[in-house]
Amino acid sequence: MRSVRVALAAGLTLLICALVLTLLGSPLTVASTDKVRGAEAQIASTTRGTTYCQGGETLPQGTTAIRVWLDAAAGPRVSVVVSAGGRTIAHGERGSVWIGGSVTVPLAPLPRTVSGTTVCVSFPLHDESVVVQGRTSSPAVAAREGQQPLSGRIWIDYLRPGTRSWLSMVTEVARRMGLGRASAGTWVAPAALALVAAALVLASRLLIKELA
Amino acid sequence: MNARATSTSASSAPALEPPAHAGAAGRPPAATASAPRRSPRALLCRVPAAAWICALVAVLNAACWSLVTPPFQSPDEPDHFAYVKQLAETGGLPTSSSEQLSTEELLVLNGLHEIQVRQRPQDRTIASQAEERELEAYLRQARVDATRGSPAAGVATSQPPLYYALESLPYLAAGGAGDLTRLQWMRLFSALFAGLTAAFAYLFVREALPSARWSWTVAGLAIALTPLLGVMSGAVNPDSLLYAISAATFYVLARAFRRGLSWRTAVALGALVALGLLTKVNFVGLVPGALLGLLVLSVRAARTCGRSSYRRLAVSGGIALGPAAFYAVVNLASGKPTFGVVSSALDLTHGSLLSEASYIWQLYLPRLPGMGSDFPGIFTTRQLWFNDYVGLYGWLDTPFPAWVDTLALVPAAAILALFTRSFVHGRSILAGRLSEIAVYATMALGLLVLIGADSYLAFPATDAEYAQARYLLPLLPLLGAVLALAARGAGRRWGPAAGTLIVVLFAAHDIFSQLQVIARYYG
Repeated sequence: MRSVRVALAAGLTLLICALVLTLLGSPLTVASTDKVRGAEAQIASTTRGTTYCQGGETLPQGTTAIRVWLDAAAGPRVSVVVSAGGRTIAHGERGSVWIGGSVTVPLAPLPRTVSGTTVCVSFPLHDESVVVQGRTSSPAVAAREGQQPLSGRIWIDYLRPGTRSWLSMVTEVARRMGLGRASAGTWVAPAALALVAAALVLASRLLIKELA
Repeated sequence: MNARATSTSASSAPALEPPAHAGAAGRPPAATASAPRRSPRALLCRVPAAAWICALVAVLNAACWSLVTPPFQSPDEPDHFAYVKQLAETGGLPTSSSEQLSTEELLVLNGLHEIQVRQRPQDRTIASQAEERELEAYLRQARVDATRGSPAAGVATSQPPLYYALESLPYLAAGGAGDLTRLQWMRLFSALFAGLTAAFAYLFVREALPSARWSWTVAGLAIALTPLLGVMSGAVNPDSLLYAISAATFYVLARAFRRGLSWRTAVALGALVALGLLTKVNFVGLVPGALLGLLVLSVRAARTCGRSSYRRLAVSGGIALGPAAFYAVVNLASGKPTFGVVSSALDLTHGSLLSEASYIWQLYLPRLPGMGSDFPGIFTTRQLWFNDYVGLYGWLDTPFPAWVDTLALVPAAAILALFTRSFVHGRSILAGRLSEIAVYATMALGLLVLIGADSYLAFPATDAEYAQARYLLPLLPLLGAVLALAARGAGRRWGPAAGTLIVVLFAAHDIFSQLQVIARYYG
């Protein structure tokens, strides 16, 4: 049946185009952070919805996401507002049910770096708990919950697309895939590629045989 | 029985067929009680080539996932590995559910920075030659400090031993090659179960929806390329065997509903239930439905075979529940809860039955009027289950960007619409198959209730502890049937093309899921 061949060809072409587009994109990289590895501190925890604000921040040019170091088992919906001079310059929201030690909230990028900003993070909460990670600091520069200073500053990472595409990083990624293996080496990535290619070829042939 | 020839091409047959008619590829149905004896080899030869190819695709896919996922970066893999180590090296079961695994394994986990990477999506796995050399030092130390077994196996300790006993084979075959080599061999062995799952899903759809042969292939291939099946079968985890046994159970039930309950199918069904119970506790959820199926089939067979059908029921039931009865006796004798962790799941110490039922309902579906809100602000159907199915990999720490979850609603809605069309079109035939459908529904419901009841134990401290799409994968054959019906819902002319697009969609989902995992760990 011709329609099967056409559908298969169209589907695979679309898949290849999507793959190429993805590989031409760039991974998010950290444009700026105040996180210090190994200096983790729990600066607050809460079991109710609240807003934390932190001044003295700088929003780098082209930032497409902000990573806030909140820890939760199944995190709540989080919204982030970045303001400067009392005016909102960027905002974003992330849906609930995220896990791990941080939550990444997408933002619309700005064409220039803005310093002296305040980042406010808000979330509703019922029953569960959220822990805020950062580093201890003096109350004068600490993040605040309303007028109340926390015991330090929240770790905030500013993320934006890197300058290198995934495609240009293929060799590097393949090398990393070969580390920490039973027999380390760059064979892992080509082997995975060969396996998935073989599965696709077999599936395509079977589709044509049985459906066409 | 209403015999009807099987179409081998794009048929316009009703979406849901009468319960019994001609077999696959035009073969006549097997006789109910007097089926001729066939050797296992002959039975294997009767499996269609397409089912074998679906199996091969699933194995290749799971093997690929076994390479893409970094060692031990799959849910509870260190614990499952420890269980196998204990069983293979000492012949005994683990005795402690603490996370104090063997020194050998802990050294390897340290070398891999496993704990620093787990559930920390911003942290990558080891990425430099210096870290590789550090890992090698840990591996050398692990060989020196190797001790026999691992009495502690974390969360795996409460699981029955069948999967771990099977995994002992590749573990022992790898000899003294070290934990990373053993793990890779074990993962590849696990990948074989993905093949069984896909093949049985294909065979289930062949039995349940026999009129359009091409749609079996759509179901088999889509299941073979389901990313979560690849993830779980490409790791050391008893879920992989659980999926295979569950799929086989669905297949045997469908076969019995179509061809009648023979001695062979009765014994096979009993054996599968027993094997399922020996594989993972979650199989308990499917047991009520499987036993209901056995009962319905026996009553039906009694009309033609008389009382002998009840002997089949008794033998099958005995085989099915034998291991569980033995387990209960051992537990009672040692003063433990009768059915171990299952007993604790049924424990209602912190709420009424009504509040538990309300919680379980809301875990899957929007709250009804009059129910208290257990998941405020969360649309559980979508956020807990749909998004999780779309993609949450690694230690449940590797999601797609949120827009992908939203985009995925489009093909999901299209598949649902086509399925509904097919279902409505064949509704007149439903009446004749209500008991069979009720059996599958009971199996699904049993699993959902089990997951909900287990999650309720940790509620409200944890909202939904076991709300993970992987726990629903024992129902993959039903997904296969839905996909086959969806393809057929596109009609005689466009059905095969729609089926092809469904398979390509699953392939694309699989490939992008792998890329997401690669980006998270190695990017």
